[in-house]
Amino acid sequence: MKLKLPAKAEALQKLVRQHGGPLTSRLVREPGAFGLGQVPSRLKPDAVTTAVCGFCATGCGLKLHLRDGHAVNLSADPAYPVNLGMACPKGWEALTPLDAPDRGLTPLLEGKPVTWQTAAGAFATRMKRILEEHGPESVAVLSTGQIVTEEMAFLGAFAKFGMGLHHMDSNTRQCMATAAVAYKQSFGFDAPPFTYADFEESDVLVFMGSNPCIAHPIMWQRVMMNRRNPKIVVIDPRRTETAQAATHHCAIRPKSDLVLLYGLARLLIEKGAVKHDFVEAHTTGYEAFAEFIEGFDAARVSRETGLTEARLHEIADLIAGHERVSFWWTMGVNQGHESTRTAQAIINLALMTGNMGRPGTGANSITGQCNAMGSRLFANATSLLGGHDAGKPADRAKVAGILGIPEDRIPPQSAVTYDQIIERIADGRIKGLWVLATNPSHSWIDSEACNRALEKLDFLVVQDMYPTTDTAKRAHLYLPAAGWGEKDGTFINAERRIGVVKKVRRAPGQALSDFNILRLLAEAWDGGGMFRGWTSPEAVFGILKQLSAGQPFDFTGIEDYSMLCKEGGIQWPWSAAEAQGSAGQPEGAAVQAGSAAVTSPPRERRLFADGRFFHTDGRAKFLFEAPRPLPEPTDNAYPFCLLTGRGTSAQWHTNTRTGKSDVLRKLHPQHCLVEIHPMDAALLRIRNQDRVIITSRRATVEATAILTPCVQPGQCFMPMHYEEVNRLTLASFDPHSRQPSYKACAVRIGRKVE
Amino acid sequence: MSLRPPEPEIAAAPAGDVEWTLVDQLLAEQRTLTAVERFSQWHEQGQHGGGRGQGTGDGYSHLMPAAPPGPGEQYRFEVNLDACTGCKACVSACHSLNGLDDDEAWRDVGSVIGGRRGEAWQQTVTTACHHCADPACASGCPVAAYEKEADTGIVRHLDDQCIGCQYCILKCPYDVPKYSKRLGIVRKCDMCVGRLREGEAPACVQACPTGAIAIRIVRIDAIQPESGSRLVPGAFDSAYTRPATLYRTTRPIPADARPADAGALRVEHAHWPLIWMLTLTQLSVGLFTALAVLALAGKPVPSAAVFSATGVLMAGLAVSVLHLGRPLGAWRFFLGLRTSWMSREILAFNALAGCATLASGAAFFGQDRFMPAILGLTALTGLASVFTSVMIYVDTRRPYWNAPLTAVRFFGTVLTLGTGAAAAVLGPDKSWLGTSMGLLALLHGWMQARVRRAWEDDDSPWNASARVIRLRLRGIMDSGDALFLTALLCGFCALITGGMASAVWAALYFSALLAGQVLDRMLFFTAAMGPRMTGGCRS
Repeated sequence: MKLKLPAKAEALQKLVRQHGGPLTSRLVREPGAFGLGQVPSRLKPDAVTTAVCGFCATGCGLKLHLRDGHAVNLSADPAYPVNLGMACPKGWEALTPLDAPDRGLTPLLEGKPVTWQTAAGAFATRMKRILEEHGPESVAVLSTGQIVTEEMAFLGAFAKFGMGLHHMDSNTRQCMATAAVAYKQSFGFDAPPFTYADFEESDVLVFMGSNPCIAHPIMWQRVMMNRRNPKIVVIDPRRTETAQAATHHCAIRPKSDLVLLYGLARLLIEKGAVKHDFVEAHTTGYEAFAEFIEGFDAARVSRETGLTEARLHEIADLIAGHERVSFWWTMGVNQGHESTRTAQAIINLALMTGNMGRPGTGANSITGQCNAMGSRLFANATSLLGGHDAGKPADRAKVAGILGIPEDRIPPQSAVTYDQIIERIADGRIKGLWVLATNPSHSWIDSEACNRALEKLDFLVVQDMYPTTDTAKRAHLYLPAAGWGEKDGTFINAERRIGVVKKVRRAPGQALSDFNILRLLAEAWDGGGMFRGWTSPEAVFGILKQLSAGQPFDFTGIEDYSMLCKEGGIQWPWSAAEAQGSAGQPEGAAVQAGSAAVTSPPRERRLFADGRFFHTDGRAKFLFEAPRPLPEPTDNAYPFCLLTGRGTSAQWHTNTRTGKSDVLRKLHPQHCLVEIHPMDAALLRIRNQDRVIITSRRATVEATAILTPCVQPGQCFMPMHYEEVNRLTLASFDPHSRQPSYKACAVRIGRKVE
Repeated sequence: MSLRPPEPEIAAAPAGDVEWTLVDQLLAEQRTLTAVERFSQWHEQGQHGGGRGQGTGDGYSHLMPAAPPGPGEQYRFEVNLDACTGCKACVSACHSLNGLDDDEAWRDVGSVIGGRRGEAWQQTVTTACHHCADPACASGCPVAAYEKEADTGIVRHLDDQCIGCQYCILKCPYDVPKYSKRLGIVRKCDMCVGRLREGEAPACVQACPTGAIAIRIVRIDAIQPESGSRLVPGAFDSAYTRPATLYRTTRPIPADARPADAGALRVEHAHWPLIWMLTLTQLSVGLFTALAVLALAGKPVPSAAVFSATGVLMAGLAVSVLHLGRPLGAWRFFLGLRTSWMSREILAFNALAGCATLASGAAFFGQDRFMPAILGLTALTGLASVFTSVMIYVDTRRPYWNAPLTAVRFFGTVLTLGTGAAAAVLGPDKSWLGTSMGLLALLHGWMQARVRRAWEDDDSPWNASARVIRLRLRGIMDSGDALFLTALLCGFCALITGGMASAVWAALYFSALLAGQVLDRMLFFTAAMGPRMTGGCRS
C-alpha cells in the first residue's frame, strides 16, 4: 500500500500523506524516567512513588506516576516482592474509580446535602438517643476489609470504647471468617503460614474452591514461575480457567469437599504417607482423627463426591509421593455450610503429611480483600483489638494501658456476628446501624431479607466513596469518604505482608478519609478525649505496633512507613528483637536473603519452620466433625444447584468501583448471566445467549444464558457481581465461623419467552 | 486516565477571629498531597531490580526477538494459549501505558468453549491487531491512512491522514480498528512500535503475568494460511488477510470448540447518513435509468424529472459527508483507487454527479437532441456507481452482505424506486406504476423468503443476522411489511382511479415505497453482524 512517488515530489507526498500532526501527537510516547520505560507524553510524571493496591489481598505494589504530587497514571512495580512488575486489570485501573462522576461530595442527611458539622452532630445525637433508650446492644457497626488498618483500629476503638456499643462485625465475615476460625482453632492463632514464594517452591499444589487465574491472577503468576514442573490439582465443581490450566481437575459434587478430604486422609494412612515424626512432635488429636476417618473408605467417598476411586488414589498418590505439597483454598471452601471443618480438614492433610513450615508446603488460605488480614487483627469486632481476648484480664489491661483508657470501657462480652446483627435488626433489637465501605444490600446472602431488615432501622449511616451504592441509597445519613489513593495507611496482604498506601489524589468535594471522618465523629461524640493522640494514620501505626508486642504477629521491629516502603513491605512477625537479632535471620526460615543490612527482614518468610504452633502446648490440633447434608438440596421443584463466585478479573465484589472504569466495563458482561450445561439447556430449549428466568425459594431473577460444559449438568453458575444473584441465595451459615454459605442453593431455570 | 479538573478551593483558613475548626483543618489536610516530600528519600532512588517489568529490564528478553526483522520479515505477536488464563491485564496495561481514551481498548480477551461430550474445555484468547500480511483495513482505506511498515511489517494507522469513514472497521474481520467519536478518527494497535525501536517490550508483553504474549519475527511470505484455516475456533478465515499472529497450544482443541459468545445477537450501528445516501443515490440512478429508457425510446423527457433525479442525487451525496469524522481530508480519495472500493465509489459518484449536472444543463437549455446520449451515459455511470456501492459491502465479507443479497437489494431499490418515481413524475403513468409494483412484490417476496430460510437453517452463514432481524429488529421488519402492503394498496388505488386522485395515490405509493426502502437499508446495517475475534464478555 505504499504510494510510489518520485523523490522530487516529497513535498507533495507530505501534503498527500500526513505521517504526523495534532492527532498523531496525542499518542506519542517518550522515556518516562524513574525506571518506567516509555510512557504517554501527555502523562509523563515528574516524580514516582509506590503504594499497594486497594482491591484484593494479593497486595500488589503499584508505581504511581505523579505530577505535582498528583497521580496521573500508574504501572505495576517491578521491585515489589509480591507482583514483580505485574498487576491485574483492577490494579491497572485503580485510579479510575476515583474520578467517577457519582462520588459523594458532601454529607447527605435524609438525602439533602449538609455540612460536616451538621452531619457529625446528627450522627452523635441520633446514635446517642438510640443507645440511651435501648442500651449498648441497640446500635451496631458493619465494617470492611477495604480500609486501612489504622482506620479499622480507630473505628473499632471508637465504636466500642468511645460510643460504648457492643456489636460490630465486618464484611470479612463474608470472605475470611472461616479461615480465621480454622487457623485459630488448629494453630492457636489466626496465622496463615505461607509466603508467595511457596507457589514457586511446591512439587504439588492443591487448589480447593479456588480460581486464582481469575480471582488472584498475580498469585497464578507465581505458580507459573514454579520451575519444579509441579503437579497442579484443582478441586472445583466447575472447570474453571484454573482447572483448565491444571494438570489434574477433580470436578466434585458441590460441597462434597469435606468427605473428599477425609477420604484422602484415610487413603494417605493406607498408603503409609503419614509423617509420624512430625505428627508426634508437633500435633495433638491425630489418633482420634485417624479413628474418625475409618468410615471414609474410597467407595463411599467416590459415591458422595462423584470422583472415581482411581482418581482418589491418583490424588492421594500425588500427595504421598512428593516432598513439597502445598494446599490452597479460597471462597469455595470458606463459603460453605461446614466450612470451618473443611478448612481444618485441609490443615489436617498438611499436618499428617508433614507439609508444614518447609518451602512449598502449608495449608494456605488465600484471602479476599486488600485488608482482610488487617481486619482479622485490628477490627476490634469479635476479638479485642490486636488479636487479644476481651475475656482475659491481662489482655484487657494491656490494651487499656496502651490506649490510655479505663479498662471498664472495654465491653467484656464478644460481639455478635454479621448474620446475628441482621437478625437483630429484623426483630427490632438493633435500631441504629453504621455501615462503612461495604454494600450488604447487594452482597449479603438472601439480600431481599437483608433489605427488608434494613428498612426497619431508625438510623442507618453509610460511609462510602459513593452515595449510589445499593446500601447508601437507603441511608438516613451518608458520609462521603475518600478512597484508596486519597489517604495514607497500611494494608496487610494474604502472606502477612504489611504495605503502605499513600495519598496521591485530592478527594473530591468535601469527602474525607475514613480516618478523618472518625476524628470528626469522635470530636462530635464527646470532644474526642480518648483519641487525642490519634492524629494521623502513622501515629496510630505506632499504637498498633505497641499492641502487637508479644503477639504472634509482633511487628515492633518495623520503624515507620518509610521502612515499609524501602523494604517492599514487611511480613509479620518482625519484632524489635528480630530486627536487632545478631544473624538478622528470624526463626521461620528465610527463603531468599534480602539486602545485607542486619535490620532488613528477608523478602519472603513463612511460619512454623520450627514446628512450634501457637497453642500453649506448642502443638497444632487435628479437628474434625461428621459431614452434614446440604441445607437446601435440589429436588424436583428446584432441580439445579446454583454455584456463585467471581465472574471476571475485571470485577470486584459488588462492582461499585470496578463498574466506574470504562475499560473494566469492557472486560466484563454488563448484565447478569447464568452458565448452564448444554445438555440441560437442550432439555429446557435454551440457546446460548437466550434470556432465562431463575427462581429460588427466595426470589425470581432474569439472566442471560451462557451454555458451557464447564459447569456440570444439574448445576449452574452465576457471578456474584450482579445484584440479582444474592436475591436467590439461601441464608445458611457455618456454625463455627458464621460465614454465609453462598455457594450452593437450589433453583429452577426456565426460558424467557421473547 | 484523565486528569481531574482543578478543584475549587474550599478549605482556605477562615480569616480574622473565626476559629479554625476541626472540619476546616481536616478538609485542608485532605487536600494536601505529601507523598513526594514524605517518601522522597525513597522515590528518588529510581528503579531497584526485582521482577520483570517496565522499561528495558531484561526480565522479558525471552519474550522478545534478539534482533529487528530483516528484509522480507516482520514482527508478529506470538501467544502461548497454554499460559493465557484470562486475567486481561494486557488490555488494561495497553490502555494505561499508551494513554488511550477512557473507553478505548486496543486489546481484548475472549474465550472459546468446547467439549460438550467428553472433558469440558475452555480457552481464553488475548487478541489485538494481527498486523496482517495482507491487511484488509489498508486495502479498504480510501485515503491510504494505513501503512504496512517496510522495516517492521507493523500495520500502522496514520491518525492525521484518517477521514473517519470507518470503512476499515467494516473491512477488518477481527474488529480491530476502533472509532473515536470525540476525535472523528479510527485508532488501533501499533505494536508499541516506538518501544520496539528502543528495545522495549510492547505494553501487553510487559504486563502479562504469565508471559503468554511474545514478539517474534516471521518471514512475510511464510504467512500463507490455507483457505478455511483460522487463528482460533470461531475466528475469520485466515486466508483473507493473512494475519501474522501465531496462537500456540499444546492442548488439543476439541472439534466442537466455539466462541463463548456464539449465538449472541448484536444490533450493529445504523449509520444513518449511509442509509440515506444509499437510498437516495439508488433512487436517483433508478430515475435516471428510467429517463434514459424514455429518451432512447424517443419519448420526451420532462425537465422536471431530470432536475428531480439530479437533486436527489446531490442530496444523497451531501448527506454521505455527514458520515465522515473528518471530511476535509476526503479529497485524498484517489490514493486508494488501486485497492479500495470506497475510493472507487467516490470516483464513480463524482463522475455521476458530473453526468447528472450535464443532463440538468442539457434539460435547462433544452438541448433535447443530446438527451438520449447524456441520459444514457448518466444511467450507465449510475449503474456502475451502484455496483461500486454493492462491492463496498460485499468486499467486507460479512455474511449478511453477500453478493446476491446485496446486489438484489441495491439494484432492487434502483428498479422499484426508479420506476415508482418515473410513474409519479410522468403524469402519473400507470404502466410505469404497474412495473414498479410488480418489481416491489418480487423484491419483497424474495427478501422475505431469504430471511426465512436463513432463520430456519442453523448452518446458514447469516443465520445470526436472520435471528437479529426476527428477535431484535422485529419492529423494523414488521413496519417494513406494513409499508409494503400500504404501498401495494396505494398503487392499486392509483391504478383504478384517474386524474388527480390517481396522482395522489401514486405519490402515496411512492412515499410508502421510499419509506420501506429506508427501513430495509436500516436492517441492512443493523443486522449485519460482523466477524470478530472470539468474544465472551458481552451479555
